Amino acid sequence: MSGEEAPRADPDALLAAAEREARGKLRIFLGAAPGVGKTYAMLSAARAAQAGGRDVVVGLVETHGRAETEALIAGLELLPRKGMAYRGRLVPEFDLEAALTRRPALLLVDEYAHSNVEGSRHPKRWQDVQDLLAAGIDVWTTLNIQHVESLNDVVQRITGVRVRETVPDAALSKADEIILVDLPSDELLKRLADGKVYVEDTATRAVQSFFKPSNLTALRELALRRVAAQVDSDLVERMQGAAIEGPWAAGERLLVCVGPDMAAERVVREAKRLADLMDAAWFAVTVERPGHVMASLDRQKLDAGLRLAESLGAEVRSLVAADVAAEVLRFARFENVTQIIIGKARRRWPLSALRRPLSDALVRGSAGIAIHVVTAEAGEARAGWRSRLAPAGPLAGYVTAGLGVAAATLLGLVLTRFVALPNVSMLYLLAVLLPALLHGVWPAILASGLSFLAYNFFFIDPVETFTIARPHELLALLVFLIVAVIISAIAGRAREQARLAAQRMRATRRLYDFTRKLAALPDRSSVAEAAVVELHAALGRASVILLAQEGALALTAAWPPEDRLDTASMTAAGWAFDHGEAAGAGTGTLPRAPWLFLPLGGGERGGRIGVVGIEHDGTAPLDTESAGLLGTLAEQTAAALLRTLLSAEVTRVRTAAETERVRNILLASISHDFRTPLASILGAATSLLDYGPGIPEEARHDLLVQMREEAENLDLMVRNLLSMTRLEAGALDMRRDWVDVVELMNRAVATVKKRGATQRFVVTSAPGLPLIEADPSLMDQALGNVVANAVRYAGASARIRLSATVIDGQMVIAVTDDGPGIPAETLPHVFEKFVRAPRGAGDGGDGSGLGLAITRGIVEAHGGSVAARSPAPGQTNGARIALRLPLSPQAATPEDEA
Amino acid sequence: MSAGTVLVVDDEPAIHRFMAPALAANGYEALRADTGAQALALVANRQPDVVILDLGLPDMDGKEVIRRLREWSPVPILVLSARDREVEKIEALDLGADDFINKPFGMGELMARLRAALRHRMQDKGETPVLRLGGVEIDIPRHRVLRGGEEIKLTPKEFELVAFLSRHAGKVLTHRHILRAVWGPAHEHDTQYLRVYVGQLRAKLEADPANPTLIITEPGVGYRAGE
Repeated sequence: MSGEEAPRADPDALLAAAEREARGKLRIFLGAAPGVGKTYAMLSAARAAQAGGRDVVVGLVETHGRAETEALIAGLELLPRKGMAYRGRLVPEFDLEAALTRRPALLLVDEYAHSNVEGSRHPKRWQDVQDLLAAGIDVWTTLNIQHVESLNDVVQRITGVRVRETVPDAALSKADEIILVDLPSDELLKRLADGKVYVEDTATRAVQSFFKPSNLTALRELALRRVAAQVDSDLVERMQGAAIEGPWAAGERLLVCVGPDMAAERVVREAKRLADLMDAAWFAVTVERPGHVMASLDRQKLDAGLRLAESLGAEVRSLVAADVAAEVLRFARFENVTQIIIGKARRRWPLSALRRPLSDALVRGSAGIAIHVVTAEAGEARAGWRSRLAPAGPLAGYVTAGLGVAAATLLGLVLTRFVALPNVSMLYLLAVLLPALLHGVWPAILASGLSFLAYNFFFIDPVETFTIARPHELLALLVFLIVAVIISAIAGRAREQARLAAQRMRATRRLYDFTRKLAALPDRSSVAEAAVVELHAALGRASVILLAQEGALALTAAWPPEDRLDTASMTAAGWAFDHGEAAGAGTGTLPRAPWLFLPLGGGERGGRIGVVGIEHDGTAPLDTESAGLLGTLAEQTAAALLRTLLSAEVTRVRTAAETERVRNILLASISHDFRTPLASILGAATSLLDYGPGIPEEARHDLLVQMREEAENLDLMVRNLLSMTRLEAGALDMRRDWVDVVELMNRAVATVKKRGATQRFVVTSAPGLPLIEADPSLMDQALGNVVANAVRYAGASARIRLSATVIDGQMVIAVTDDGPGIPAETLPHVFEKFVRAPRGAGDGGDGSGLGLAITRGIVEAHGGSVAARSPAPGQTNGARIALRLPLSPQAATPEDEA
Repeated sequence: MSAGTVLVVDDEPAIHRFMAPALAANGYEALRADTGAQALALVANRQPDVVILDLGLPDMDGKEVIRRLREWSPVPILVLSARDREVEKIEALDLGADDFINKPFGMGELMARLRAALRHRMQDKGETPVLRLGGVEIDIPRHRVLRGGEEIKLTPKEFELVAFLSRHAGKVLTHRHILRAVWGPAHEHDTQYLRVYVGQLRAKLEADPANPTLIITEPGVGYRAGE
């Protein structure tokens, strides 16, 4: 871009502004500590707003019995609170539904960080506020600085008090306005002393330690800085929106390494703070080593760290590599990361002592990238250590170890009785190897220890004591122990890796099968059915799929079968669908619902197909691995569902194209076939009109006959077209009746003769022929078309034979001629629309190419079939068209009383 | 001398345009009505000998015209209808129409039907002891059927059927109508009875059973006894 070009407004900034226009505006009254007068300030401002004509409603305000606050509320409309049952008590809570129904212009909701009673729509009040804003309601609320998530640690360090109720930073940055309610520390302390400050458990030591001048000053500083940061970012956004050029930050990008230790959450918070200060995007990254098994406790801690990072706005990535440091750096370079934040864990005995700490490795390879190392605090490392020991194998492993050693001892004792065995210790190595392979490291180490003792006790002199007489035997014993432990470790790790590889392979295969299975299914509901069964198999939990049908979600598939969901679940499903985010169990929205719902497909609401639900099994949320699997399976399901939708659309388009093609052929056919008789009629009529007297009598008569015949042809064509249309539309109106086939054949012959057919006709039938149950006039048309066809193509002097017989329980009506026959290339297509044989010896004029197609349509509508053969069976020429019709059980004919 | 007065009820001017001269050429006096109301008024005032009625009229359903006419007039009604609308034809016939002709039609066919209807009107004069159907003579009191002076043996039901058909010669009788009259109301849907008996009668009475002239099938509608 050239320097002269006028700066253009950043579309993202304008978009963000536009989005805020539709939403309600959020104003936060931020204070450094309780008692600075946030609620008071909010109410005063609200009264002013009301006086200015705004529709102000108090959603919820805690007055804590303060008269001055209560006086301010008087005159404002109060939203009644909702009583929520909680542990046998009725807790008056903010009524979100009522607020959404009331829809004031401005709603006051005190205490942004409040945790709602279980069973509410959201667990946190700030989430309620998001719903209100989304509904276009302006909200004013209050917040103390220590409730801000990323400042949580800092506040704890300053005050020594751990704050449990936190608000994610994103919920704070969403505020359109932050008003700092400030009060000098001295004055606050004075208010406290006067009892004007409400603190929940007033008398506790914690409160006293909290309200110390040094604390309050530090908190004030925090609050001021936070507001200043907000002002900065507002300013930047406005300047970008207005396309004012300025010295923007060079775009710092941060990366935080998250590992399975207690420090993880602290490191993540630190990273968030840095990211905020630098106004930088940030990643939270974890690296798993292939073949490395993580204890479940570690896994939980890692998950907690990653979840926190995600909630604080980090982009979370899970990488896999053997060399952790190299992978982190590779990723960092790829993403143009400028700073890396890492926690420094205490060294662990014994293995970690041999390894270089990750931070060192990173620093060594991090040319151009700044590294922040956050050191561990006391207690964190120890907790990590304990957890390392915690994952013990199942009891069976230890039993195997014990039994193996006992067996080895027994075998050794028996063997040494018969042969002199120089190295009984080999038997014990077997006893170590066995549990190592079957149950992993820990049982094997137990086996090593037991072997060591048993070997000593039973085989080393003096036998049956734990003492060792000869020094070289002690050495041998120690070497045995070391070898045993190493074998345990190696065999155990090999076993773990094999198990893990098998598990990965199973997962991969499962995913592959899943995709392939879904890809083969033709429609939405079968895809949904298959998907829930697979989800259930993969995750071991009940699964449901709800798909959008005419705007509403409907339960489409469930495994195990389920035909309805409770209201809470349906609400959660609806929320997930509307917002395109997970909802229900384990999420921030409607967490009490027994299901976790994930949206299926598309970022836009219109692109979403439905939701997939996984039953929550009571306590455990999904671990990262299952969650990842669920995400992948949900994506695959959405893709498969979208595919069926698209293929349905393709089919529809193709059908439309086919219809269009047929219509075009039809039009072409009509214009040709109708023009011919019309031309004849018009020609004959004008001849008679203009030259009537000059035309000899005989020729005049001939012209008139021609007119009549062509008009009859037209009539036939109109009838055929009409029937074809009805057959295709499925609108054939069948009126079945008993039909005498012989009569039918005779009538067909009479009709063509009346139209001037010159051929010889023979009608034959087997004696005692039953009646058929059919629509008489449709059958007239069906057979009439076949006979007319024979007349048209067989030649003027042909012999046309009509016969009716019963073969294999079906009535077979055949029309056979001895004309030139049907060309081999046309034969397979004679019953198709618009297929006409080239005109041979026939003189019956062109048909519309519809006659036999209609015959087939009518016969098939009666449950019968048609067939054409040329040359006719038993002849060297001609053609035979056969109609087969099913016979109905013959109704009894009445006994005659003769 | 006029062969009779014919009222043509149709809203298509083209139909009147060719019908009027054709009827005149055959010695009929043609009356014209474009609506059902006009038709009802003309039947009352001019008492035509036959009414040719199109079922699709602008002001009322053709069937409604038949219903109202039959309340007070026995005038023969010849219905014009599309070929594939059997239900409509049957309803019209059951309401009291005497015959129908499919559109489009040839003038010769129309004139033949007109003559038959007029003859039927003349003939329909109570109980005639001996009826004629083509070359067949049906002697009601004696329960005898003669062709060329030779008696033909018929079962009682065959006789009843042929007697009923000949009594209404020239008129189209719906299956239901015949079944009710000959077999009773309980059998009015048993059309296979009719097929079988008509087949037997044709075999006994017709000169060429493959091309019947005495008992003519009106596909999907009923039968007409020829003359």
